[in-house]
Amino acid sequence: MELLQFGLFIALLVVGYFAGSAIERRHYASIRRREREYSDVLAFMVRFPFDRTTPQRAFLVHGAVVVSADYFKTFIAGLRNLFGGRFRSYETLMERARREALLRLKADARRKGAKTVICVRFETTRIATGWAPAMEVLAYGTALVPDDGSLLLPEPRAGASRLLGDGLVRTPG
Amino acid sequence: MQTKAGPMLVSNLELIPGRRIVAHYGMVQGSTVRAKHVGRDIFASLKNIVGGELKAYTELMQEARDEAVERMIAEARSVGANAVLNVRFATTSIAVGAAEILAYGSAVRLDDQ
Amino acid sequence: MRLENRQPAEGINSSSEHPLKELAWLLGGSVALVVALVFAVSLSAQWIAPRIPYRYEARLAASLPPIAAAPSSEQGRAVQGELQALADRLAARLDLPEGMQVRVGYSEEKTINAFATLGGQTVFYRGLLARLDSEDALAMVMAHEIAHLRHRHASAALGRGVAVGVILSVISAELGRSSAAGVLNQAGLATLLSFNRDQEREADNDAMAVLAQEYGHLGGAVDLFRIMAGLPGADGAVAQVELLRTHPLTRNRRQAIEEGARRLGVALDGQRRPLPPAIAALRGESG
Repeated sequence: MELLQFGLFIALLVVGYFAGSAIERRHYASIRRREREYSDVLAFMVRFPFDRTTPQRAFLVHGAVVVSADYFKTFIAGLRNLFGGRFRSYETLMERARREALLRLKADARRKGAKTVICVRFETTRIATGWAPAMEVLAYGTALVPDDGSLLLPEPRAGASRLLGDGLVRTPG
Repeated sequence: MQTKAGPMLVSNLELIPGRRIVAHYGMVQGSTVRAKHVGRDIFASLKNIVGGELKAYTELMQEARDEAVERMIAEARSVGANAVLNVRFATTSIAVGAAEILAYGSAVRLDDQ
Repeated sequence: MRLENRQPAEGINSSSEHPLKELAWLLGGSVALVVALVFAVSLSAQWIAPRIPYRYEARLAASLPPIAAAPSSEQGRAVQGELQALADRLAARLDLPEGMQVRVGYSEEKTINAFATLGGQTVFYRGLLARLDSEDALAMVMAHEIAHLRHRHASAALGRGVAVGVILSVISAELGRSSAAGVLNQAGLATLLSFNRDQEREADNDAMAVLAQEYGHLGGAVDLFRIMAGLPGADGAVAQVELLRTHPLTRNRRQAIEEGARRLGVALDGQRRPLPPAIAALRGESG
């Protein structure tokens, strides 16, 4: 029955709008709070360490997040395709995703005992999941820890990313 | 680069010969998500028959890139930098007909010449 | 060298514009665009179709297979003969285009329907005929279909359908299978169907004029819509909204009869003529 279909469509749109904006506001609040919290971990794009005299350990750290647009955003994007121009809601979404990815990268670095990350790069990929695209933002870089002589990396605390190798030498035993 | 609010040095070099970096302020980004409209799309489909440059699309992408770089410079200015180095571009397709252009780089303060 | 991470200002890469405002502009703009396009195209098709000489339509219809096959049974042929006789009598009262011959087809299927199409062809289904109780009611249906032929509605509808089909398929190609495409499709269809409804109203008015001339009263029209209102599925159970229907609501068509009676200066009621014998025989048979 077409009335039912129409009703369902309106319901999805309304839920998408309200839930979507609430989630967005909460996420932004969380992002701002954590940006203050992680302000001691510094990230740069430079390719070589600033301090070339002190020996440093270097290992890869990364942070990734997958976001998707709510029903409301997807609907607007569909209409937008007719007229062209800026997708305001998607721009906000992508900015959120990038800031979150960078925060997760800093968290990864801190967990591994680093305060500086250099050579940071971003990668964005679309993950096709049917009618609503999801975007993955990956931020990766090289974390630097001053080498204090021991050959052991400070043991990462629970939950740290083990996916990427750290390329360090460990003493046996 | 001459921008609306005064000159800003933008480069994908890491070091500018002859200038010294006084301070690093971190990363700045600028991005836009753009779509073409129906008219351009239909024209492009027709152009596919004869081939050659799709001028309308080239212009569209250029406008989008310029806007992304403008935003990156705006972020750099807001943190007090006078140059953006190490600039990189990334383009992703977001939805049917829409692409995101990201420009990001290091915001630095160079010493005065 | 100082090393810091300074947080850039907010709002450069994000937008604080209210999304509902964007929705209002986009939705309003796109629906208005689709409706305007479909309206313009339909209006042109409507204007052009009757002006193309009938012989081209006749040629097109001749190249297509006939709509209804000749009836196989003796009774079927008798019914068709009576229908054709009535059609010829009523068609004389309407100003048909040059060269148009009304050809009546009879189908023994139980569908409750009748229609007019290209090349002066009409088809009446057994299901409909079995439910009519007077010649007046039958004449209302017949005159309505002949009026469609007279105004070349079939050609206009064909032109409209093709043109609007092109527009809607361009939209589908652009927007993919998104819900936005669905919304715009519905907007286009609603506009198209309003033209269909106008055609039906025009045919109703012409049919009432013929009835008034032939029988002196509009009893047949009243009977017909009473019967239609009693059919299962008439007008739908839930919302009586015209927007996405091909025909005006039966309720509105009945109101139009009263206005028609006033306009034509005839009574709403009067002596009914009985159905021709072969058609009357269909009433008794079930199935």
